[in-house]
Amino acid sequence: MGTISSAFSLMSGALDADQSALSIVANNVANANTPGYTEETPNWQQNAPLEINGVSLGAGVTETGATSLRDRVLEERLDQQQQLASASGTRLTALDGVQALFTPDSGSTASAAGDIGSDMTSFFSSFSSLEANPTDNALRQQVLSSAATLAGDVSNAAASLNAQRSALDQEASGVTSQVNSLTGAIAQLNQQIQSTSPDADAGTLEDQRQQDLSQLSQLIGINQIKTENNGLSITTTSGQLLVSEGASYQLTTGTAGGVTHFFVGTTDVTSQLAGGGGELGGYLTARDQDIPGVLSSLDQLAYSVSTQVNSLNNGGTDLDGASGTTANPLYIFNQPTAVAGSAASMNVVMTDPNQIAAAGLGQGTGDNTNAAAMANLANQSIVSGLSPTNYFSNFVSTLGATVSGVQAENTAQNASVTQLQTQNNALSSVSLDDEASSMTTLERSYQAASQVFTMLNTIMAAALNLGDQTTVS
Amino acid sequence: MREFGWQPELKELVIEASRALACLDADRLEELALSCQALSRDLAPATAAQRRLLAGQARNAMGDMAVFARVLEVTRANLHVMNRLRELRAGRLEYKELPGRGWARTESSHGDN
Repeated sequence: MGTISSAFSLMSGALDADQSALSIVANNVANANTPGYTEETPNWQQNAPLEINGVSLGAGVTETGATSLRDRVLEERLDQQQQLASASGTRLTALDGVQALFTPDSGSTASAAGDIGSDMTSFFSSFSSLEANPTDNALRQQVLSSAATLAGDVSNAAASLNAQRSALDQEASGVTSQVNSLTGAIAQLNQQIQSTSPDADAGTLEDQRQQDLSQLSQLIGINQIKTENNGLSITTTSGQLLVSEGASYQLTTGTAGGVTHFFVGTTDVTSQLAGGGGELGGYLTARDQDIPGVLSSLDQLAYSVSTQVNSLNNGGTDLDGASGTTANPLYIFNQPTAVAGSAASMNVVMTDPNQIAAAGLGQGTGDNTNAAAMANLANQSIVSGLSPTNYFSNFVSTLGATVSGVQAENTAQNASVTQLQTQNNALSSVSLDDEASSMTTLERSYQAASQVFTMLNTIMAAALNLGDQTTVS
Repeated sequence: MREFGWQPELKELVIEASRALACLDADRLEELALSCQALSRDLAPATAAQRRLLAGQARNAMGDMAVFARVLEVTRANLHVMNRLRELRAGRLEYKELPGRGWARTESSHGDN
């Protein structure tokens, strides 16, 4: 009887185990389209064998719960790449806006800043025209008019850059509440996971936590640290604690130097967040590095052109026979006192065209030597060792190269995210056979791409050499 | 080889390679590798005009080649991560952790299979 009872017990146990496993499969099917859901597989545990008359008999299996088919290392790698892609994408959007300012006829409101390169050419050309006929009033008006166009476009560009910087500042500030909301949710999930499933995968709870981590990775650069009992701590990439198991630490903001600064506790982490990744990293990099760099270049241009032109005009003789003095200087542009802010404040202060000092000091009013000297500024290395037009051209090229570099980085990071998502889907959503196939595809793709790259590199190098040789001969 | 240069242009070829690698389209990449082999063969007997044309195409494709290089670089990093994961998981299958009892060899390595 004992044996029959054991057999019934074994069969009953097997049915229970199958029923539990079917529930897990049903749950997988029901959640097939749930975002972030990770497929679960049943865990089987062998029952202790029965000893009957000295013979050991198997006692079947018991279903002991489900394990999600997840791999945290891969998920963490995916999160890291997402942070980089998000940062470069945000930065690229900001840089595109900056570049549009310096792209003539780009059609954007910002390009109302016009074409500063052409403005400078026109401005210095107007002195060349005046050189030919230094007493001509229309030509003198033309000098002031082209000066006003140049100053207006430079100051408009600076104003637009400052407006873009303010907009980025607001966007960055807005990310804070989203970060805090997610870190709070993750801390709560940590508590639930640690209390309900300290030794095994917590299934849906871990799916939720992973989804929150993915969203957090879009916003900010983070490090993830696994702790005991399935817990998780999160720091910024520079090591400031945001979540420690069940507790979260708020990211707060304050204003310093006219822009928003970010704090964890009392520590200012703004500069660390800029290099950390996520949207916040992208916003801060554009706000604190890219736009100030562009503004600085524009300031340098405005400062050098204004001071050099003013200096020459002030040292010449105007149509009324007067020269500049300390009390009554003959300035065309407002005289900047420092490089910083020169672009934003650039404007024409001269209203009387007769005050243009076309004649040299001590020369008659019909002289043109000073007009020639001012026209010649176009070819002199007056802005950081370059002529004004070359400096501007160099500046636009550098900006274009930066945009291009960030574009390349963003394309690569997005490609990486796509690849990892493919691998992650293979791991968590389909069979092991498909997973192996996915891995093989990754290896095949890499090998084929390496061949393509090597051959293209050789072809391009050969083409350039052959093309150059042909050109030379 | 055509009189007026290569079709598609080098730039398009490079962009297509980046796109295919991002999507892990191994079949397409292998086709592109064959295309590159053919292009390489065509290069030697090219006329002076064709060489000039190809040199122009090469200069035009430089930026996209830099993007392709970056995509290849991140793919290599991803492949490295996946290979490490595979090794780790193979190790887990071979030596399965039993709760409270440390590490033990699993049934698959008992030697009777």
